[in-house]
Amino acid sequence: MNNRLELLNILTSVCPGVDFEKETSLVDDEILESLDLVTIVSEMMDTFDIELNVEDLLPEHFNSVDAMMQLIEERK
Amino acid sequence: MSFTSIAFLCFLMLGLLVYYLVPGKWQWMVLLAASWVFYCSAGWHGFLYLAFTTISTYLAGLLLGKLNHARSQLPPEQKKSGAERIKRKKKWVVAGTLCLNFGLLFVVKYYNFTAEALHLPLPSLNLLVPLGLSFYMFQSIGYVIDCYRGKYEPQRNLAKFSLFTSFFPQLIQGPISRYNELGPQLLRPHTFQADNLKYGIQLAMWGYLKKMIADRAAVPVNTIFGDLESYGGAFVAIAVAFYCIQLYCDFSGGIDIALGAAQMFGIEVTPNFRRPVFATTLTDFWRRWHITLGTWMKDYVFYPMSLSKPLGKIGKFTRRKFGGKLGKVIPTSIATFTVYFIIGIWHGANFRYIFFGFWNGIIITGSFLLSGPLIALRNLLHIRENSLVHRWIGRARTMLIVFIGRYITRAPRLLLAFSLLWKTVSTPCLYQLRDGTFMTLGLKALDYWVIGLGCVGILTLEWFQEQGTPIRKTLEKKSVFVQWLCIFLPLFILLVMHILGGEYIASEFIYKQF
Amino acid sequence: MKKKHSLSSKGWLWLFAGTVLLLAVLVAGFNICTDPFGAFGDPVMGWWSYNETMNPRVAKLSYLEQHHSQYDSYIIGPSSTSSFPTQALNRYFDASFYNMTMYGADMLDVEQMGLYVLDHYEVKNLVVSMYIHCAEIYDTEPNTLTYGMPCKADGSNPILYYGKYLFASPKYGMEKLKAWRSDPYLQQPYRVFDQQTGAYDKSRRDAEPIGSLENYLSRSAYSVFQNYPSGTGSISCLQPCMESLTRLRDACEEKGVTFTVVCPPMYGQYLEQFSPKDQDAFYNALAEVTDYWDFSLSSASFDPRFFYDETHFRNDLGSMCLARMFDDPEVYIPQGLGRYVTKGSSPRAPHGAKADEHTYTAQVPVLLYHHLAETGEGTDIISLDRFLSHMNALRENGYTTVFFEDLQAYVQSGTPLPEKPVVITFDDGYESNYTMAYPILKEYNMKATIFAIGVSVGKDTYKDTNQPMNPHFSLEQAAEMEASGLIDIQSHGYNMHEVAGRDKDPVRKGLLQKEGESEADYLEYLQKDFEQVTQAIGKTPTVFAYPYGATAELPAVVLHQQGIYATVTTVEKSNILVQGLSQSLLEMGRFYMTEEVTAEQLLALLSGKS
Repeated sequence: MNNRLELLNILTSVCPGVDFEKETSLVDDEILESLDLVTIVSEMMDTFDIELNVEDLLPEHFNSVDAMMQLIEERK
Repeated sequence: MSFTSIAFLCFLMLGLLVYYLVPGKWQWMVLLAASWVFYCSAGWHGFLYLAFTTISTYLAGLLLGKLNHARSQLPPEQKKSGAERIKRKKKWVVAGTLCLNFGLLFVVKYYNFTAEALHLPLPSLNLLVPLGLSFYMFQSIGYVIDCYRGKYEPQRNLAKFSLFTSFFPQLIQGPISRYNELGPQLLRPHTFQADNLKYGIQLAMWGYLKKMIADRAAVPVNTIFGDLESYGGAFVAIAVAFYCIQLYCDFSGGIDIALGAAQMFGIEVTPNFRRPVFATTLTDFWRRWHITLGTWMKDYVFYPMSLSKPLGKIGKFTRRKFGGKLGKVIPTSIATFTVYFIIGIWHGANFRYIFFGFWNGIIITGSFLLSGPLIALRNLLHIRENSLVHRWIGRARTMLIVFIGRYITRAPRLLLAFSLLWKTVSTPCLYQLRDGTFMTLGLKALDYWVIGLGCVGILTLEWFQEQGTPIRKTLEKKSVFVQWLCIFLPLFILLVMHILGGEYIASEFIYKQF
Repeated sequence: MKKKHSLSSKGWLWLFAGTVLLLAVLVAGFNICTDPFGAFGDPVMGWWSYNETMNPRVAKLSYLEQHHSQYDSYIIGPSSTSSFPTQALNRYFDASFYNMTMYGADMLDVEQMGLYVLDHYEVKNLVVSMYIHCAEIYDTEPNTLTYGMPCKADGSNPILYYGKYLFASPKYGMEKLKAWRSDPYLQQPYRVFDQQTGAYDKSRRDAEPIGSLENYLSRSAYSVFQNYPSGTGSISCLQPCMESLTRLRDACEEKGVTFTVVCPPMYGQYLEQFSPKDQDAFYNALAEVTDYWDFSLSSASFDPRFFYDETHFRNDLGSMCLARMFDDPEVYIPQGLGRYVTKGSSPRAPHGAKADEHTYTAQVPVLLYHHLAETGEGTDIISLDRFLSHMNALRENGYTTVFFEDLQAYVQSGTPLPEKPVVITFDDGYESNYTMAYPILKEYNMKATIFAIGVSVGKDTYKDTNQPMNPHFSLEQAAEMEASGLIDIQSHGYNMHEVAGRDKDPVRKGLLQKEGESEADYLEYLQKDFEQVTQAIGKTPTVFAYPYGATAELPAVVLHQQGIYATVTTVEKSNILVQGLSQSLLEMGRFYMTEEVTAEQLLALLSGKS
């Protein structure tokens, strides 16, 4: 669960004031904008030492914390 | 053939008739034939450009598909090295296609400007920009990149693919569609559905009303900008305001007609506008105005650039150097600037448009950088984030920024735009508002009423849409008489205005040459 | 669940289709009722002069469908055809002509319209007027509302044809209604045709005064002649043009209709745009098809006053052409006008040449006197002695006094004028003309024209206020003077000399329209005044002196239509009369003869040296 906490840390630093655990359509509802998304992705790459590229920037990968976690696990 | 011509209406009726009479498997051919007739009615030479883009992107798609297939067929032992090799090949294919197409776009649209701006001793070319060139080219390039990314299988049938690049309702002025959204719809058989025809007609009618307003709003704009010496700053501002109305009504009206026409054929095209008047920030505005261009830029320029290795390195460097927020913002700012720079020159080969891009880029990055202090200010004034006041302040601010941006794009020269802005503030010549100057701008009182009431009508309807009221469903629940009025009044107004405005030559879409 | 009175999508579509249909029917109905192009027989207004202006081809055929029984002969061709006056055609051909002039017509239009008329109506004569331009174009007119042919004549699809006019912009109909509401008496740009004859309504051009060449060229309307542009014509459509003519000729032959071809006069420099080779080719090809009258070039072709643009000539010239065809000795014929060309005749030779202007123009001064008394005073009273000295000067210097009818004979029939002609006129009709001037004129055997004010004949007080004024001669005295053959009594208007304070307010300035007076009232006044003056002077006047010299276009046109062939003003200038141009008799200048003018000064004026 350490990874999950770290991810939540990244998310709240980029977008303060959002209850990330509850939201399930972060991208579709435009809670996360493209600028946020890019920042999150680059932070994720640094923090978890994974390789992500443009093809991975699909809404379904970033709509919820669970989805993001799944992406991280896949790439590790 | 312009959307506002009687010929187009006849063409559309005939097209629909044939479309729903032939068997479903032939319907796409009817659309293709109609699209070619539509495009060729403006001249043969444009068709050659269209064919070039279609064929080159079609071949690139095929090649990329093959390479993708080859990669998936790689034996496990070669997976790593083979994938690298194939990826390099794919990159070459994409780079080649992009060079060919953007090279063509550059020669046709930007060559003269570049040669002049850089004082290059090159002969100037006198090429006609083919209709809708930028639109169908972006659409096709998007397809190639998606194929590169392996998002979907490429289309193997050239005829079917060329329907995607030349589908007539959106060919001239967008929206810029994605193959995975539009393609399957175009090729699928469609049975006649009264709903589709009805909604299509309603939307197109709404578009025609908007274009009627745009045609009138264009008159004072051209008068004032044609003789800037004679008008004070107030009238320059009025001209820019009319220009805002003209631009929105013309472009979104044209899109409504396009969407409506497509819907009549049972095809749903991505909307291009979502009530930009109600945007609270400039970023929000660009998510509501010319949406498909924005998302195209996001997917094919902004994301790849932000996540590219060079920018990643810059990001690491800046974070180390400046740390914290600023360090993170710099790489994305570079990408943002690039996007708006491209959006700027996409609109036309001119310093005005380049600066227009910068203007948007500066505001957006600036607001990103200043978000901390701004939130502090908001808290200081005790304005809650989701309060009504906050939203309206945001709307007014966004409108002002857009309004200033329009000075830049409409002025004949970039430097003149600044002096016009200064003139608006320094010498408004307010007396001109009362000395009958309004009546010398080329419009009659009736025309002003049409523009005024038209704008009120559009705003009211959009306000309800913004509140989430489903307009069509609400209308359907009304009595037959009310529904009839909603048919009769627009038609009657269009007819009367068409007759009275006989001396107006309906202006072609402003966005046609873009 | 309660069913709502909602509308299904299908229902909505029907409603939509119905509404579109309703609007379409409204537009079509409006277009039929107003019928601005005359395509539907103009059932409500019947305003053919308007319709024909919008589209002469469509409207004229529609008009003829209703009225062809009035006509037995047709003249057809492009717009210069209109200048062959219908009256003259009727007289010479002893027929009833309709002028099928169509602007911008090519020979295909002429053939199709001609064949339709031949096939459907009773026809005695068919006259085709064509010029070299007809070989430049063929089958050209775009199928527009204004230039399109009626489907009956060109055999085009009637559905498309009627559809085009049914759904034309109602703006045309609204413009027609607007014109209908405010239609003034004078010919307007929106109605250039005369409904009865089918020819252009030339009422304004015919009443337009013409004098010296210099003055004519200085008018903006005729500035084209000042620096006539050079161009190059090409007769690339000669073959189809002649084929059309041949088919028309054969159809006439078959039906026993007299077929006549005329080449109308052209401005000389216009013809020069065509190479001599092309000119020969055209005229010879024409001779191959039929014998014809060629009026293309004559001395008149080199005087712009006979034209108002390079191919549109004045009706007077058209009349002279017809007179030439029928050898009318009453009518003056310009030098070199008209040549009958037959197949055997020699190749076309240039037959028209510029004539010396002095051979067909004359300078005629007109003198203006008013009242005579023992002592002269002001502008209007001249002493008997001074008048006598004037007459002596005229007699001793070889001047011959003439009447206006002599001028008319010169202009219309070419009757020569005496070497030094002069016209003596008296305005107002004072008794002193009878008591003092008449005896002298009788003694010297000199002619004079008196313009009498109708209401003052035999009176010495103002009509409304009975204030005293200089006495005027009576009708008996007038008759006595006229009987001598030396005096011509003409009109100075019946009641056109109102004076503020002596007549009832508001006074009219001369014969001009009063402020706020409706056009209908004004026209009625002009007509009534003419009838009253006819009664007052005991004869129908043919010459008119504008009271106070005040002129305007509307009364000028009305006077022309009342049969006034010459008018005089008070502008002090000599006059150039042009043989063959009746408009040179209009608004002639007159020299004011006051006590201050000595005999020497008079002679200087007459010789044009002052």
